[in-house]
Amino acid sequence: MAKTVEELRAEYATKEKILEVKDLVIKFSLRGDVLTAIREASLDLYKGESLCIVGESGSGKSVLTKSFMGMLDANGWVESGSILYEGQDLAKYKTEREWLRIRGKEIAMVFQDPMTALNPLRTVGRQIQEAVELHQGLRGRPAKEAVYELLEQVGIDDPVRRYKQYPFEFSGGMRQRVVIAIALACKPKILICDEPTTALDVSIQAQILELLTQMQKAYNLTLIYITHDLGVVAHVADRVAVMYAGEIVEVGLAEEIFYNPKHPYTINLLSSLPQLGVKGQDLFAIRGTPPSLFKEIQGDAFAPRNPMALKIDFLHRPPYFEVSPTHKAKTWLLDPRAPKVELPEAIRLLQSKWGDDVVADA
Amino acid sequence: MLRYIVQRFFQSLLTLFVVVTVVFILMRFMPIEGFFGPNYDKLDPEQQQAILRSMGLLDPLHIQLKNFYLQLLRGDLGTSTIFRPNVPVWEIIAPKIPYSLFLGWASLTLSITIGFTLGVFMARYKSTFLDRLGTLYIVIINAVPSAVYYLFLQLYGKDLLNLPMLFDPDNPKSWILPIISMALGGIAGNAMWMRRYMVDELNKDYIRLARAKGMRNSAIMFKHVMRNAMIPMVHGIPTSILLVMVGSLYIESLYSIPGMGGLLIQAIQRQDTPLVQALVLIFSAFSIFGLFMGDLLMAALDPRIKLGAKEGSR
Repeated sequence: MAKTVEELRAEYATKEKILEVKDLVIKFSLRGDVLTAIREASLDLYKGESLCIVGESGSGKSVLTKSFMGMLDANGWVESGSILYEGQDLAKYKTEREWLRIRGKEIAMVFQDPMTALNPLRTVGRQIQEAVELHQGLRGRPAKEAVYELLEQVGIDDPVRRYKQYPFEFSGGMRQRVVIAIALACKPKILICDEPTTALDVSIQAQILELLTQMQKAYNLTLIYITHDLGVVAHVADRVAVMYAGEIVEVGLAEEIFYNPKHPYTINLLSSLPQLGVKGQDLFAIRGTPPSLFKEIQGDAFAPRNPMALKIDFLHRPPYFEVSPTHKAKTWLLDPRAPKVELPEAIRLLQSKWGDDVVADA
Repeated sequence: MLRYIVQRFFQSLLTLFVVVTVVFILMRFMPIEGFFGPNYDKLDPEQQQAILRSMGLLDPLHIQLKNFYLQLLRGDLGTSTIFRPNVPVWEIIAPKIPYSLFLGWASLTLSITIGFTLGVFMARYKSTFLDRLGTLYIVIINAVPSAVYYLFLQLYGKDLLNLPMLFDPDNPKSWILPIISMALGGIAGNAMWMRRYMVDELNKDYIRLARAKGMRNSAIMFKHVMRNAMIPMVHGIPTSILLVMVGSLYIESLYSIPGMGGLLIQAIQRQDTPLVQALVLIFSAFSIFGLFMGDLLMAALDPRIKLGAKEGSR
């Protein structure tokens, strides 16, 4: 079943927003200094979609999603902006009592490293059952049955025996299945997967992604993937949000981001993919390091590392420019007054394949 | 598991044998003069030799050792030579045990209950006033020589609370000050380690998962953190049994408690060989047993420890 980009856009025009992040600013105090981890990030999440958030380490992917569940570290806080979920502004939540209405029940999370995400001293079954008891209101025998069912659903055979085993008796991939089972036991509406496959063997990664996709259908989940593996993105994403220095610099349908990137950071990121390199030539790499988040950033945060930066990039922060109804980017390059710039060869190659006839896997 | 226990038991016996034998041999290297106590100058060399022979000290070492163990197998710990000449060693030790044991158990119970609780609260309210107060207490106890705060406690306990300054077997209230004094150090130690293990656990990933699935902080503390932090703590408890037995030299003399405290030191100083040997045997048996129990407890609590399951891997 393939859909054209036009059809996807039309579909998105009718989709309902489940979560709306507006101009979110998150700060941390660190050894007496204040660090701005999220700088006015805005993001919409649509019901039933898979959204991938990509960006380099420290770009704020995890912090952003943690703030949806009130799980920022104790030295972090939401400075301004809003996170709207079902008419409630999560950014205003302060107490544990408020967050308990959201955590698990509405939004659940799958963590990066399954080797450490489970309590080594409690049986796997008990740990899933805790979530079942909290969110499905079951106790005793029926709760246990529900755990068996969940174990089977996530592809763990012999659930009665497995229930009584401890995490150390499970392999990495199996533990990640258990973590997924715990998340599902909460019956959430949104599932955040924080680099769900990074710590796993390559051979297991595809299985876990497959499982997540199945579960998304079975449970009607909205998925957020955090990753810096563009292979994962290509595999699962409906839409992609690109983060840089605490901002979402570009967001669009996966096809739009992959074939028609607009923000210099996205362009550079894609150019550095080994798969797109030209044989015999050096691989492309983004020079420099991300900006310090302790200081106020002038203009476009990526400008100092951007070989095609314009003068205005150093002076003023670009607003979002709309490329299509589903695609927008924060770069002055999209301003009508901007000069034409020479794109890297790999990107020109990608763009030559781009057109409305590009077909997306549904 | 059973196999491990048996194996470990025989290992413990071997350790005990080595300790007792080494101490036995060391005692034979002590200066000859010591075996006669204050009478040394009054005896001429022939008399000295006769006494040594009668004590079996002129036999070759391995014969002496054999005799010692044969005696031990009959359940005879020997008779004191100098401390209280010709009194069976057991009769010297036995009446002292109950005092030290009671003092030890009471203070151990106190230091575990209060120490663990304090540690848990310090970890739960980390970096708050309570945590700082607890840390202050731990630092003071560890930094100030114990003699100083023992004395303070004794003086102010008498002045402000009108508690007895000295031990009196007929007055139960006279136990209060020595027990508290002895527990202070243990409370500080237990609180410090408990807090540390809890904080370690709190920073682990599975705590984040537990929060993400919507568990209350208090439930996480109770069901996950405390239980996991308890395991290394529990390992130490049986080992403390030794401390309970040995008693406290300083506290017992400060409050004139007729316990075991300092008995070993006196016996060594006065070179009462049978008494030293008996005490070493009892003390090392207790501490080795404590370590053994600690390992078993750990194995019972931590599912990851499968004792002796794989012979090849050890």
